[in-house]
Amino acid sequence: MSVSIDEKRTVFEVPARVRPARSYPFTPHSRYPHRSGFRCNNFDRMMIPGLILALELSGQHDEELARRLQRHDPDAMKELYDRFGRLAYSVVLAIVRNSPTAEDLVQETFLRVWNRIHAFEPGRGALGPWLLAIARNRAIDHVRSSASRMERNAFELDVREHPTLFVDMAREVENTDHARVIRAAIAKLNPNQQKVIELAYYEGLSQPEMAERMGQPLGTIKTWVRAALAILRQELGQEVPA
Amino acid sequence: MTCDELRGEYGAWALGIAEDPALSEIAAHLARECPACIAGVRSAMATAAALSGAVTETDPPKHLRRRIIAMVAPEPRRAFVFLPWVVSGLLAIALLSVAVSGRRQAAESGPDVTKLAQALAILNDPVAKDVTFGDPAARGRVFVSPKGIVLIAAHLPKLAFGRTFELWILPAAGKPVPAGTFDGETISNGSNGSNGSSAVYVYRGSTANAAAVAVTVEPEGGSPQPTSTPFIVTKL
Repeated sequence: MSVSIDEKRTVFEVPARVRPARSYPFTPHSRYPHRSGFRCNNFDRMMIPGLILALELSGQHDEELARRLQRHDPDAMKELYDRFGRLAYSVVLAIVRNSPTAEDLVQETFLRVWNRIHAFEPGRGALGPWLLAIARNRAIDHVRSSASRMERNAFELDVREHPTLFVDMAREVENTDHARVIRAAIAKLNPNQQKVIELAYYEGLSQPEMAERMGQPLGTIKTWVRAALAILRQELGQEVPA
Repeated sequence: MTCDELRGEYGAWALGIAEDPALSEIAAHLARECPACIAGVRSAMATAAALSGAVTETDPPKHLRRRIIAMVAPEPRRAFVFLPWVVSGLLAIALLSVAVSGRRQAAESGPDVTKLAQALAILNDPVAKDVTFGDPAARGRVFVSPKGIVLIAAHLPKLAFGRTFELWILPAAGKPVPAGTFDGETISNGSNGSNGSSAVYVYRGSTANAAAVAVTVEPEGGSPQPTSTPFIVTKL
C-alpha cells in the first residue's frame, strides 16, 4: 500500500536560519507536531551541547579510552557511557520509538563495543562514530520487517560495523561545530532528498521499499539517494578519495 | 564490478541500503582489502555517522547507566534478576556454561534481554527442532525453528586473533548459507573470545530447507562461504 509521504514523520531537525524561506511541502512538523519526536525551528536552543562536548572530548581521549576498554577496565565503560550513552539512546529511540526497547538495544550496543574493542585501532579509530553506527544498526535491525532482515543477514551487519571502517574520520567530524554543520548540510537537500535520507537513516527502508512508500520509480529513488549523499559528503567536507 | 563502478554506491552501502550487485560486490572488495573501496567506504561511514548529529537528544532513564555498568562490573550483582522469566532450559544451560569457565567475566554473563527474548521465541516455537551434539571439539545443543537458530556450545576451540566463529545452515542441496558470526558476544569470555570456550548464539532468519547446521572458524567479519573445515556439524 502506498502511503502519502506528507503523512510520515520528518525526523531531521533543520535549523530555522539556514532553512529556505519557503516551507517544504513535505515537512510535517507544523502540521503534525504530535507525530514527530524531533523538535524543529529552534536550532539556537538545540545546539546539542552534549553532542558537541562528546565529539570534542572524544578527539582528545579516544585513544586512551580505547586502550582502557581493551584492557576491560570497568571504569572505562562508565566513561564511554557518560560520553556517548545519551546520544546513542537518542539515536536508537528516534528509530524504535519505544523507551524499554531502546534501553535494551543501547545495552546491546555497549556490550558489542566492549566485546569487539580488540579490533579497534586506538590511534586511528573514531569511537563515537563506531558506537553510533552499531547503535543505529541494532535499532534498524529491530524495526526492519522480518523479510528484509532475512535478505540482509547478520554477516552484512557485521561487515558494516567493523571497527577498521571507522578510522581517520574523527578529526573531520569532531573539530567542527558538528550539529550546526550537519543540520546546515541537511538543509541543503531538497525535500525529496531529505525524505529518502530520513527513510534510510531512521527507518532502514531499502530503496525498493522507499519507491513503494513514496510512489516513485526505483530509478528516481536511487538518483535522489545518490544526490543527497553526494551533497552531504560535500557539505561535510568528506570527499571520496580518488 | 570495478571500484570505479562502485564509487557511487559507498554511501548507500554505509547506510545499509545498497542493493545487489553493489551490495555483495562491495563486501567482496572489502574482504580482499581493496584500498580504494576501503577508503571510499570509510569516507561514506563518516557521512553516515555525521547524520546522528541531527537527532534531538533525549535523556536516557537513569537506570540505564547502572544496567550497562553492571554488565561489566567485577561483581555481578543482578545475575538472577531475570531468572523468573526463564521457563526453558536456556538460562540454566547458559549459567552452567558460565560456571564452567573460571575466567569468565561479568560482562558476558550480564542480562542481554533482547537476545534472551529472541532465544526464547525460537525455543518456545512448537515446531523447533532440538538436537544435542557432542563432537570431540565441542559439545552443546542447537534449536532450529523456522524463525531462527539458538546454538549453545561449550569446549569451542581457541580462536586466533582476528578469527571468529561462523554458523552455517546446510540445505539438503546447495551451498552453505551463512548464519552470522559469534565470538564471545554473549557468554564467551574476555577479549575477542580468544580464550573463550563457550557461547550462546542466536540467529534470527530463515532456516528453510535446513538439513544440518555447522560452525567453522573464519576471518573476523565472517566469510560468504566456509573457508575452513567445520568443527561442528549437526544433522537436524
